[in-house]
Amino acid sequence: MDRNTITSVGIDIGTSTLQVAFARLVMENTARYFSVPRVAFTDKELIYKSPVHFTPLLTRTMIDEEAVRRIVRREYERARVTPENVDTGAVIITGESARKENAAALLDSLSDLAGDFVVSTVGPDLEAVIAGKGSGAARYSQSRGIRVANMDIGGGTTNIAVFDDGETVAKGSYDIGGRLVRVEDGRFVHVSESAVKIALSKGLRLELGGRADSDLLRKVCRTMAGLLEQALGIAPPSPLLSAIRTHGSTPFCAPSDIRALCFSGGVADCVSSAEGDPFRYGDIGPMLGEAIRQSRLCADFFQYQPEETICATVVGAGAHTTSVSGSTILHREDILPMKNIPVLKLDSLEQERCYEGDAPYLREKLRWFLNQSDASELILALAGDSSPSYNRLRTLAGCVYEAMNAVLPEGVPILLALESDTALALGRMIEALAGAGRSVICVDALHTEQGDYVDLGRPMMDGMIIPVVIKTLAFG
Amino acid sequence: MNNINGANLERLIEQIVGAVMAELSKKDGAPEQNPRDITTQESRKHILLQNPRDAQALARMKTRTNARIGVGRTGARYNTQTLLTLRADHASARDAVFLDVSQKILDDLGLFTANSRCASKNEFLTRPDLGRQLDEESCAKIRASCVLNPDIQIFATDGLSSTAISANLPDLLPCLLDGLKNKPAVVGTPFFVKNGRVGIMEPVSELLGARVTCVLIGERPGLATAESMSAYIAYNARVGMEEALRTVVSNIHANGVPAVEAGAYLADLLYRVCEAKASGINLRRTSAK
Repeated sequence: MDRNTITSVGIDIGTSTLQVAFARLVMENTARYFSVPRVAFTDKELIYKSPVHFTPLLTRTMIDEEAVRRIVRREYERARVTPENVDTGAVIITGESARKENAAALLDSLSDLAGDFVVSTVGPDLEAVIAGKGSGAARYSQSRGIRVANMDIGGGTTNIAVFDDGETVAKGSYDIGGRLVRVEDGRFVHVSESAVKIALSKGLRLELGGRADSDLLRKVCRTMAGLLEQALGIAPPSPLLSAIRTHGSTPFCAPSDIRALCFSGGVADCVSSAEGDPFRYGDIGPMLGEAIRQSRLCADFFQYQPEETICATVVGAGAHTTSVSGSTILHREDILPMKNIPVLKLDSLEQERCYEGDAPYLREKLRWFLNQSDASELILALAGDSSPSYNRLRTLAGCVYEAMNAVLPEGVPILLALESDTALALGRMIEALAGAGRSVICVDALHTEQGDYVDLGRPMMDGMIIPVVIKTLAFG
Repeated sequence: MNNINGANLERLIEQIVGAVMAELSKKDGAPEQNPRDITTQESRKHILLQNPRDAQALARMKTRTNARIGVGRTGARYNTQTLLTLRADHASARDAVFLDVSQKILDDLGLFTANSRCASKNEFLTRPDLGRQLDEESCAKIRASCVLNPDIQIFATDGLSSTAISANLPDLLPCLLDGLKNKPAVVGTPFFVKNGRVGIMEPVSELLGARVTCVLIGERPGLATAESMSAYIAYNARVGMEEALRTVVSNIHANGVPAVEAGAYLADLLYRVCEAKASGINLRRTSAK
């Protein structure tokens, strides 16, 4: 079989909006007939994009699970897709929603609706990357071979990702968004903690119930835009910038030489158009958009017009969260799919020790990792030599088998993720050592980092590949 | 430079000579400690073009092609380094064709050597037909030394690149044989054929009564790599068989498919050919069903 089409779903439950999107992903063997197969996605087509719903809340700290289920179910019906037909995808809870009391429970309650191999991912870093892929910034960066920054400005957070030639080189998140301050009948009905901090830095006070003065809010929004300038490195950073970094995100360090900037998220539409009453959405979105339009962000950077704005995250979740493994890999259908496997990544020095057969070292490292992450399974990730000798690979296989067999609880499979195209060879060697004692799964063409989690799907394309989702945080 | 009279020309030459001498004297004090190997992958990444408008973009383009782009020029000519690299690569390609696989590599792998009917490299290059036949002595040697009627027969031949065999066989062959160990198939005795072409798999197959035959052969070297190896596989190979009935796995080298991975993949593929009783276009048909 040389071609396979799968259906992927994206469900994005953001600070203020909830969306569902479906995409059709085409996998094909792109290698020439006279070569080892190489399966890749050759086409990604968005087949349905839901309207933008407001995220239903029960209280300020509780999401209305039942209402979310109702909306999602209705969108499946509208898209004429049933959960059984969905092969992959991601449910992501983003921005402030991720901090609600019942976020984890909500993901659980959606699992039956979302098909078999649909992963629940959160984590602000990953959201930034997903949004940048959904907006088209990543592809733009790749097609031009340049460095492009994507700013996804939503209700609660601004997620920034920088792509260099299509690869993520920096990502981060700040508590800046269009709905940090909400206004009804000229009064503040919601003021977020970070909005208060930002206002205070200019000696301004935002108090619940206070009069929503547009001059005051414009000043606050200008400060926010200034913070985003700092984030991208075109203004000197202030202590306030690190104070409003989103909880759980890594420090964002803007690389130099960004050639283009792209805005996505709900506020992006307000950056490009100036029309209408600034309070038309009952929040500061339009004013934040205006402040950004007048800021150096727009003056200093070439602006790339995104393919998606408010839908960037959901389209990214639907179409760009699943990747395919290498096409010569070792897997075991009977134990797949597997979800939420923590990644232990070896750096190049540690990897070299393993190639030299230092099993005691690896064993201690594995022990430490299992203890520290309170897990009973893990996937060992390493870049791997691009073309190792037979003996070197055998030494590595022996080392990995000895250490993993000693440390992993009984019945837990040996899982490996390599970057270099040597998974089948290494997997077979470990399999020969393990015999019937342990299952072995060894995949390649995967770039993971320490702290990632991995979901491995069922084999596809005649078992040549397995779909993989790499995420930065696992819930529950 | 419209009016170059004698005096102007003289001054110009003086300037140039002065500049060249200054440049030379600068380098005189610090001779290069390790002259760079201009044939390595690392040195290929080097941008020779002076003052490129976008060095980063050019570096990226260079990662995507083996073509010699971004090398600059002097008038209508190549720069010296480009010319030297081309010559060095061409020399590697010639070496790949004309040198023999080292005996030590064959000994380490435990392979005995048989010969095609070509007595020399020259004959090998000028008489492709003889490269597809075994000489009589070798026929006897093969029959005497090998398991007869194997399910899977593997052998290697230098083809147009002995370098490819030296570079890949020591890592590929053990992986391949390991991979076949736990399969219920009789694997024949591997050996090496000197001065062989792809078609020599047919007399080998007939001679040994093999069901599946796989020849590991050096590919015609190019200026990108001289180390690329291919595997040609056929079910029930017979002299005069159609080319379309061969299954091919090409591009096996350090910057293509790594030798170890190719070995593991070929083990599965050979067994699949054996099970399907079909190779080449027929294997395609059976797997499409």
